[in-house]
Amino acid sequence: MRIFTTWSPAKGTTYTTDLPGHPSTAIIADRMAEPKELQPEAPGGKAGAGRGGGPAAEAWFFCLRLLGGRYAFEAPLVTEVVRLGPLTRLPASPAFLPGVFTHRGEVLPVLDIAQLVGQGSVPIRASTRAALVHCGPWKVAVVSDAVEGLVAIPRRALEPPLAESAGVAEFLSAIGRDPTGTIAILDLPRLVETARARAVPAGSTPA
Amino acid sequence: MSERTSEMLMFRVGSRVFACDVQDVRRIGSPLEVPPEDLLEETPLGRPFSQERGLVVLDASGELERTVVVDHVLGVSSIPEDHVQPLPPFAAACMTSGAVAGFVLLDDSPTLLVDLPTLVSEHVAPPRSPEERP
Repeated sequence: MRIFTTWSPAKGTTYTTDLPGHPSTAIIADRMAEPKELQPEAPGGKAGAGRGGGPAAEAWFFCLRLLGGRYAFEAPLVTEVVRLGPLTRLPASPAFLPGVFTHRGEVLPVLDIAQLVGQGSVPIRASTRAALVHCGPWKVAVVSDAVEGLVAIPRRALEPPLAESAGVAEFLSAIGRDPTGTIAILDLPRLVETARARAVPAGSTPA
Repeated sequence: MSERTSEMLMFRVGSRVFACDVQDVRRIGSPLEVPPEDLLEETPLGRPFSQERGLVVLDASGELERTVVVDHVLGVSSIPEDHVQPLPPFAAACMTSGAVAGFVLLDDSPTLLVDLPTLVSEHVAPPRSPEERP
């Protein structure tokens, strides 16, 4: 299989494959394009970003390394990958929001998933890379130990996650596999919304 | 062509520098001259080390005067208005204090812009959650 890359102001960067009869396409919204809405779930799969509808269709995800494993979320949510500059820490903010940084003159909040799920924290250095994501009204930079980038997983290879509700398992929508190994698929919009909801217990006082 | 600017008072609490609208500060004095009950020594901005200066501020209702204790007043800067940015929506939704109004970009680095009247008001009455804020 080969992957072709094209770009247009309307669609951003478009990745297409040459699989005969089953064109599989994922769109990574460039910063010039509007953020894309989540794709509807594929039949029988909780994290179906696959296009084409056939049994060989692939779902495209954006893969990060964190919590000692490989995690991914739907590729269209990602607009850019950046290196964090100096971080400005925020007072009266939860631990999963370690601060903000500027990127092309815009102040962006940083989300540490490890802190959110209570499994340590991602070390933040000047070289730390983050994926800028749009989840509904929220634009956040998800920090990680390393960025792998786009991965394509055959939809049929997506399996439901284990029925656990603790830690990061609470936010998994599927488990996938590629030639490198296992990938845990995160429901990132739900994770971000849960983070926001957990941030301020009612009646709390500032830290 | 002249650029529109805002006058910002820069001050330090602990190791961090903050900015506020200079018009929110009625006067700058010494904390030693203020009754202890009128001092705000520990706020979401942190606890001052040396506590050398006090920013005298009215709360959001304009009725209550309190002195916010800081370590140093660094001076007043004219900040171009396009260097003043609000909090990102996600950060605003997650913070437990509404006293951080946004950022002043100094050399492309965000310095916290503090809403001093809100800081004083929150000291008097606990802050509301982001969902409850107007």
